[in-house]
Amino acid sequence: MNSKNSHKNISRLEGCTVIGALTVTSFVTDAATIVHGPAGCAHQSASMIQSAMLYNECFNIPEIFTSDMSEEEIIFGGEERLKETIRETVAGGRYRAVFVIGTCISDTIGDDIEIVCKNASAEYNIPIIPIDASGFLGGSFEKGFISAIRGITELIPPRSTEAEAQVTPAKPEPKTVNIIAEKNLEYEVDSNFAEIKRLLSLLGAEINTRIARRTTVAEIARFKNAALNIIRDDPTGAISAHIKSVSDIPVIGAFPTGLSGTVEFLKDAGRLMNLDEAVIDAAVSSELKNQEEMLKRFADLKGKKVSFDLFGFQKSDSAFLDEIAERAGLKIDIDGPAIMIPFYTPIGTAGVKQMLVQWRRFINGRR
Amino acid sequence: MKQIALYGKGGIGKSTTSANLSAALSEKNLSIMQIGCDPKHDSTRMLMGGRWIPTVLDTIRDNGEEINADEIVFAGYNNIRCVEAGGPEPGVGCAGRGIIATFQLLEKLDALYGDVIVYDVLGDVVCGGFAMPMREGYAREVYLVTSGDFMALYAANNISKAIARLSNRTRNFCSLGGVICNSQNIEGELELVSEFAQKINSQLIGFIPRSQIVRVAEVNKKTVLEYAPESEQAGIYRTIADRIMHNSPDVAKKPTPLTMDELEELAQKHIKA
Repeated sequence: MNSKNSHKNISRLEGCTVIGALTVTSFVTDAATIVHGPAGCAHQSASMIQSAMLYNECFNIPEIFTSDMSEEEIIFGGEERLKETIRETVAGGRYRAVFVIGTCISDTIGDDIEIVCKNASAEYNIPIIPIDASGFLGGSFEKGFISAIRGITELIPPRSTEAEAQVTPAKPEPKTVNIIAEKNLEYEVDSNFAEIKRLLSLLGAEINTRIARRTTVAEIARFKNAALNIIRDDPTGAISAHIKSVSDIPVIGAFPTGLSGTVEFLKDAGRLMNLDEAVIDAAVSSELKNQEEMLKRFADLKGKKVSFDLFGFQKSDSAFLDEIAERAGLKIDIDGPAIMIPFYTPIGTAGVKQMLVQWRRFINGRR
Repeated sequence: MKQIALYGKGGIGKSTTSANLSAALSEKNLSIMQIGCDPKHDSTRMLMGGRWIPTVLDTIRDNGEEINADEIVFAGYNNIRCVEAGGPEPGVGCAGRGIIATFQLLEKLDALYGDVIVYDVLGDVVCGGFAMPMREGYAREVYLVTSGDFMALYAANNISKAIARLSNRTRNFCSLGGVICNSQNIEGELELVSEFAQKINSQLIGFIPRSQIVRVAEVNKKTVLEYAPESEQAGIYRTIADRIMHNSPDVAKKPTPLTMDELEELAQKHIKA
């Protein structure tokens, strides 16, 4: 019947599709998002996002609306109510685009959100983009997130259109990069971005647009100016596959982790942007030096014992931890203090440095 | 108060049968209410002299929940109180939820009263909403309307499954009252439908022969009872109404729906070239 074939209790940890979608769309600063469902769907999602944002010291209130479906809309269909909500939302002229996120109930009764959006786009002459997010069909936070990434790329003018010719140069800017699918609720989202920006600056490259982190609709439309796309994280490959389908810009599928991983990232980024080998070599040696300087600050850890507590779910891709321990002169030993591994792996050299600060606390705390 | 529901395949003649039975029951000096539970809202038309009465759901939509019973309950032939649940346009929304909302409103307005309430329900029990009349103690007796047509029997058998399922609930008020054969002039039809009724642990309550007078009454926007009260057909409806009034099925007696193979075998036995 649907793709949901697991009824394990862990399902409750997989989150709601609507929230996953909102973490993307509500970071387009001049767009509004309408959650087409009962008011509670929007309230629940918006309040979770807002509290996570406050924790991350973002104080802006996301532009989230609800079509406030009631029993009448359930019985007679909610398309009229949605049309009305779109009309009210675009009325002030405040938004350059509107996202419409479907919910479990609007999908159960079969509201055709796609056609409502298409007609409204034509009527109001701004992009109105439907996003599929009915969780009961086997959705999760992740699925809503990916749906929204797909939706947001509709703001990029399609290939070989007049709109594309207007905003996209014949050739991309050689040293510019798009950052895609940042996890907006992740505590480290800004520091991770700063690290990527620093690494790219070693290659002389700059950021073109971020999809989406306080990004405007016009910035998203300039997506194709870039020479390289870098995705935050894409374990299933779904985001890379989609991004490759909208443009020919080469893609790096994840932010770098670990010391050698960071150096490899610099090489990959440089080659994919067709930079001179000399430029890449200079960036690599600069970063290797930076890593050595960083490690010197942890000289006090040399010879100490550590062990890793992987919680059993970090699988085998922890080789970078062994590398960090080795480079810092630590000994991996079952008797050493158990270091808890962060849920999100640290990004770049700055991430390694931050992690070593935490390790030091564990190691010294044991004394 | 006797509460009965007529279920059966779409187009089998549930509304015609319901309206004629309501009309026959009304002659017994009983207070009758008929509730059409189908978005098509054509159940009570013959009782209303051809008038399409406003539906409950349209009225809620136009006026909110602040409505009076007289805005949704209309007196028809012999003062039969007629209600149409109504529902969304075909292809949108959720008609099943509409039935639930209708019942909740009628309940709130204390409009569900009378000596007999007849629920005329859409062809197939496609979702929980259309099973509503069987649940919560609304209809206590379900009558399956069928002909000897195989697909009509198949639908009736499926509805008996829904009743059997409800029978397993701890608080169940609903039982299978019997089978009404609305004939399509199929050879061996009476025997086939009688045996079907028996096999699903029920009984044939009545056999309504196919008659031109039903169509004639219909185009004159009347029930047979009103249009041709002296006709043989009117007498048949009266007889069935009598049997229903005297029928008191045992709630503990559960229907025994047939398997597809059994149903096919039964049809093959009676329907031959």
